[in-house]
Amino acid sequence: MNLQLIVEQMLNGMVLGSMYALVASGLTLIWGTMKMLNFAHGELYMIGGYVLYFVLLLFGVHPFWGVLLAVLIAFALGVLMERTILHPLLDKPGWDVSPIVVTLGVSIFLQNFALKVWGERFKNVPYFIEGTMDLSGFRIAYQRILILIVAATVMVGFWLYVKRSRFGMALRATAQDREAATILGIDSHRIYLMTFGISSALAALAATMLAPLFLVNPWMGIPLLLKAFIVVVLGGLGSFGGAILGGFLLGCIESLAIVFLSSEWKDVAAFLVLIGFLVFKPAGFFGTKEW
Amino acid sequence: MLEIKNIDAFYGDAQALWDVSLIVKEGEIVTLLGANGAGKSTTLRTISGLLKPKKGSISLSGVRLDRIEPYQIILHGLSHVPEGRRLFPNMTVWENLSVGAYIPPAWKDRSGAIEEMMEIFPTLRERKDQLAGTLSGGEQQMCAIARAMISRPRIILLDEPSLGLAPVIVERIFEVIERINHKGVTVLLVEQNAHIALQIAHRGYVIETGHVVMEGEANRLNQDEYIKQAYLGL
Repeated sequence: MNLQLIVEQMLNGMVLGSMYALVASGLTLIWGTMKMLNFAHGELYMIGGYVLYFVLLLFGVHPFWGVLLAVLIAFALGVLMERTILHPLLDKPGWDVSPIVVTLGVSIFLQNFALKVWGERFKNVPYFIEGTMDLSGFRIAYQRILILIVAATVMVGFWLYVKRSRFGMALRATAQDREAATILGIDSHRIYLMTFGISSALAALAATMLAPLFLVNPWMGIPLLLKAFIVVVLGGLGSFGGAILGGFLLGCIESLAIVFLSSEWKDVAAFLVLIGFLVFKPAGFFGTKEW
Repeated sequence: MLEIKNIDAFYGDAQALWDVSLIVKEGEIVTLLGANGAGKSTTLRTISGLLKPKKGSISLSGVRLDRIEPYQIILHGLSHVPEGRRLFPNMTVWENLSVGAYIPPAWKDRSGAIEEMMEIFPTLRERKDQLAGTLSGGEQQMCAIARAMISRPRIILLDEPSLGLAPVIVERIFEVIERINHKGVTVLLVEQNAHIALQIAHRGYVIETGHVVMEGEANRLNQDEYIKQAYLGL
């Protein structure tokens, strides 16, 4: 074991962690505005992977177009899901549980849909950019650098959007006090639609970036959703900053577990940290924060 | 200007308003007096669409407010400062005021409107980057009134602006309410503090257990024996 290996693994951990952060910020966004958990989040991620795969397979265009289409389709699916299955449950008794039941249903449906229609074989997506960068002895694949750049850009952009734009302010206002927002002219249903769309788009974006590293398959969303839940617990449910910090932290913990133990231990380490947080710091780094 | 005709309103199965009617004319300050739980806030919530009346009608300059979506009501020039202020606690004062300018006609001119409000409430300027949740009660009330005024409404509904505030602060807030009214904004003011409300109001209504039991000019209500006993503590 040497320093080079540790640094390389930490970098890989950050790469993976940045994607955990993207997936988790979608979860936390929905929790922050609607106080519900979306169990189909992982399947929106999966759809993102498949869209990229099929665009590359059928049209042979630059992966950029595949990513763009995946994000747009996931956005539309998120909006459709909110409108068709969640909207009717809003403001009805049982909101604590009903979204879990219906989104779990969607999750099962989409997994089996993918299995039936696209088959059980794992699909391979090529790297967007081949090659490895050599930084005075430390090697990192260009694909991974690309992931980091995309993650940083999207997170900063999203943060600014939520912080500064008219829509972002309306979103935070709705999250903090829906009735007060309504009085001021904000249509909360429109905010919820957009929230679902953006959340799903973030998941799909993460899937397209990770598709070359992992393989596209009907179950690819399951581990990611679990990881995203861990991240959200570490960071504090509903906190955007927490999702980002938690994402990077989890990525690094997993890499360190790989270096010092073995790759079989990485999930054990991740869940041990989760259990530790649940016992000693159940509110996470930033507590349950509203937007 | 604002005309409420024979409304019945319910919370679930429990009826909260019975056949409530009231009129607010352009340029007036009208106060709605009543004890805790009499239906004052419910009346305001029904006007601003947060509660749909089962019966009756609410119209603002001829527009049926009870037939449009709650979030569209502010577009017709009606603003509501709800009970308990209901600021967005994790947003700064400036952000709260900006959300007040959410509707498209107000958004373009928001810095001008925010500036105007900060003239009226200088403390808000000092606190502009502070989270609204950390303000004192008086500052929160000022911020809530300012937020409702940013969209330049024609009529403003105020729900217990004096609640929980020190008398000095209450006086300042009521001065501002009068000032807003002088600028041409019609005011419907809900208050438990009948004394101060009748000082600035032109007319008043008294509501008890969901029924309007009395109405009249403010100075006449001030002299009324029943009001004196039940609401002014004289």
